[in-house]
Amino acid sequence: MQFRNSMDRYGLIAISFHWLMAIIIIGLIALGVYMVPLSVSSLKLKLYRWHKEFGLIILYLIFFRLAWRLADRTPSLLGQLPWWQKIAAKTVHATLYFFMFIVPMTGWLLTSATGFPVSFFGWFLMPDLVQPNEVVRVWMVFSHKWLSYIMAGLICVHIAATIQHYVVHKDNILRKMLP
Amino acid sequence: MKRMLIAILMLFPVVSFAVVPDWTILPAESSIRFVGAQNNAPVKGEFKKFTGKIHFDPEQLNDSLVSIKVDMNSVSTSYKDFTITLLNNEWFNVSVFPTAEFIANEFIKKADGQYEAKGKLTIRDKTLPLTIGFEAKQMPNELVRVTGHTTLKRLEFGIGQGEWQSTSEVADEVDVYFDIVAKKVSG
Repeated sequence: MQFRNSMDRYGLIAISFHWLMAIIIIGLIALGVYMVPLSVSSLKLKLYRWHKEFGLIILYLIFFRLAWRLADRTPSLLGQLPWWQKIAAKTVHATLYFFMFIVPMTGWLLTSATGFPVSFFGWFLMPDLVQPNEVVRVWMVFSHKWLSYIMAGLICVHIAATIQHYVVHKDNILRKMLP
Repeated sequence: MKRMLIAILMLFPVVSFAVVPDWTILPAESSIRFVGAQNNAPVKGEFKKFTGKIHFDPEQLNDSLVSIKVDMNSVSTSYKDFTITLLNNEWFNVSVFPTAEFIANEFIKKADGQYEAKGKLTIRDKTLPLTIGFEAKQMPNELVRVTGHTTLKRLEFGIGQGEWQSTSEVADEVDVYFDIVAKKVSG
């Protein structure tokens, strides 16, 4: 197993980024859906803290991940794929990268607009992006929620495509992203 | 005997009979703010309404008396749900304890314009001794600006009942900042 990507499979660095962020993102979506309707309690505050801290981890990681993607070669998609599937795959990948940036950003904007700054695991305080502002807060609640739902949908498309390849095409592209 | 008493009274300098002036707070220019910590990050709020009886003279600290009453219902934060939480019975419990009061009856001059007020602070049903340092600045038009801050421990006053007694999400310490402009009304 090599660190860098080869032309037909991902290397250890890319694989680590993929699965670490996959686990965190799916956890964050599930946590978000669970925690928001809870009535105010210390548990709710604790869950919000985790959601914000792990959301920030995604925001930091996406920069390193994109830098690595630009620095390293990208394995080519399977040659026998129809052109529209190649475009679809590339579009979903690019959109997912964009969402890994925009969803945490709207969350950060949301908590800033609420007047609740975020500490990163008690190590340092994140700066406020905006002053507390009810109009911005309501907009960010809307944006963060719906962008997250769209992202969840894209993740489902991404997983469904993998399953389709496995079951229908029997080409097991998942192996490219496994250690 | 009577003559002697008059003689003794005459020995006192006239100034000691001067009246300690009263001051009235100008609400638009005054504020009481607080900064607590939730999840290791600061959260801010303020009390929009408070009144005070200020009977203060830097030259007659022994005869000075200050009482500040805070309308706990007037608490205001940047987020509605946070404000509502503070009002409820686990926090300020404003329906039972609508006001908080600080009464200071002992003043010590620390430096020019710097004082210490010793008194009692009542929040909810808890009354505790409290010493607050403050700075008083004379301003034109018989105005004075008093600023200072203190750190309170919310749990000593029972602010945050039940599960909120844990300090893992909401810290015990709360910084309170006041900036009060008052106008001399008598004396």
